[in-house]
Amino acid sequence: MRSTKAIFIKQAKDIFRNPMILIEFIIFPAVALIMTELIAKTNDAIPPNMFVTMMASIFTGMALIPTMAGIIAEDTERQSLRFLVMAGVKPHQYLLGAGGFVLLAGIIGSGVFTLIGSFTAEEALKFLTVMILSAAASIILGAAVGILSKNQQSAMAASMPLAVIFGFTPMIASFNETIEKAASVLYTQQMNVIVNDFSANFPLAIAVIAANIAVFSVVFAVAYRKKWMRTSAR
Amino acid sequence: MIRMQNVVKNYGANTVLSDVTFEAHEREIFGLLGPSGAGKTTIINILTKQIEADAGEHDTGVTTFETGLMLDEDGLYTRLNCLDNLYIFADIYGIPKEKAMQALKKVGLEDAAKRQVQKLSNGMRQRLALARAILHEPRVLFLDEPTSGLDPATARGIHRLIETLRENGATIFLTTHNMEEAVKLCDSVALLNKGKIVEQGAPAEICERYGAIKTVPDLESVFIKLTGVELE
Ligand SMILES: Nc1ncnc2c1ncn2[C@@H]1O[C@H](COP(=O)(O)OP(=O)(O)OP(=O)(O)O)[C@@H](O)[C@H]1O
Ligand SMILES: [Mg+2]
Repeated sequence: MRSTKAIFIKQAKDIFRNPMILIEFIIFPAVALIMTELIAKTNDAIPPNMFVTMMASIFTGMALIPTMAGIIAEDTERQSLRFLVMAGVKPHQYLLGAGGFVLLAGIIGSGVFTLIGSFTAEEALKFLTVMILSAAASIILGAAVGILSKNQQSAMAASMPLAVIFGFTPMIASFNETIEKAASVLYTQQMNVIVNDFSANFPLAIAVIAANIAVFSVVFAVAYRKKWMRTSAR
Repeated sequence: MIRMQNVVKNYGANTVLSDVTFEAHEREIFGLLGPSGAGKTTIINILTKQIEADAGEHDTGVTTFETGLMLDEDGLYTRLNCLDNLYIFADIYGIPKEKAMQALKKVGLEDAAKRQVQKLSNGMRQRLALARAILHEPRVLFLDEPTSGLDPATARGIHRLIETLRENGATIFLTTHNMEEAVKLCDSVALLNKGKIVEQGAPAEICERYGAIKTVPDLESVFIKLTGVELE
């Protein structure tokens, strides 16, 4: 617990000195706000929450996956992780601290998107639920990528395509039915399904997102066993 | 206290340590000397349980918590300041935050406490790495080439600090390929070449044994006599 908290605080201090990461957490909500105020609210043909949904899934993919992967890869590459382990930090404590912080950032982001959108209380609750679950999915996926990466560069190379697929597919799917069908297995697409029509099958969406989390957890567990198991035995 | 007995380490077909046996006593400054690639870092990694030996026994006599470590890579968080880097470890160890400033004072970095690590000079970074190693007042300190790449004045400062730490009861295990440093600083040394200990004892004794005392004990010439290898 002590170690997890120390890593969490380290991450919190670091993000404000890391403009590259900080900007990703600010830019997508900011774009959603601007587009919603300037375009969606002044144009009756555009659904009021269109940009909120669009930017929310981009945020979930583009901000959360590479950030989580990048944190782990940087700490591995710079050998900081080695010192943490030598000080007695267990790998799962490290992951909980770092992942917990990114999750908090994801939750704050989700809250901001909720405030920007025009939701009833029930809709807001549904939106927040799918957002936070999706954030968790991104973080687990990002953690797996981070563990498997030798350095920051390879973490970036591996997480960017994933971020693009999960972040932008929902937007593309809105223009093409075939893509829309195929994309329905993606957690970020389910988020869009719910927000575009709050009467849609909510339990089904949650089940698909949970299935995504399950798949990512398996990938994560394999990565963890392969690369970090020995570390935890120390 | 710290000892290795018949330790062997292979990387594939490459034998890095072939049969290493030595002992470092409590409250002494022990120097492991050898040229680049001799296996010094490998020995520290085995003693600190970061890698496993293929054969042999080893022991440091203390727990991980009682061990301090300074490696060839400093692993510092470069965007954070000096104090924040130490706070992380103070939190992990569960020791009071004031210890962080105390450690910075010991290495003479108190004026740079709030400075970002990426804006420090090499020597300052190295001193910060040392501050992190001594933060929790470990009983055994492993220092992998603590003065490499430092100017003589900074190196002397680190030597003085190492001596103070020993006087306060710590055991220091350091590696170096600087023979002069070893003679001046170490109570006892082991000479390592190609994964084998070729000689060990007090520096002056070893030099005497090999007739290498001129004006100052000349450990370097002993090493060359034994191995035919020059250090730098
Ligand atoms: N992970 C590894 N895989 C393969 N070979 C390795 C590995 N680590 C070290 N070696 C080899 O082991 C030998 C000893 O390396 P080590 O780092 O212990 O030397 P050293 O005495 O610390 O040298 P230096 O003074 O340059 O730091 C070298 O030949 C090195 O190439
Ligand atoms: Mg070395």
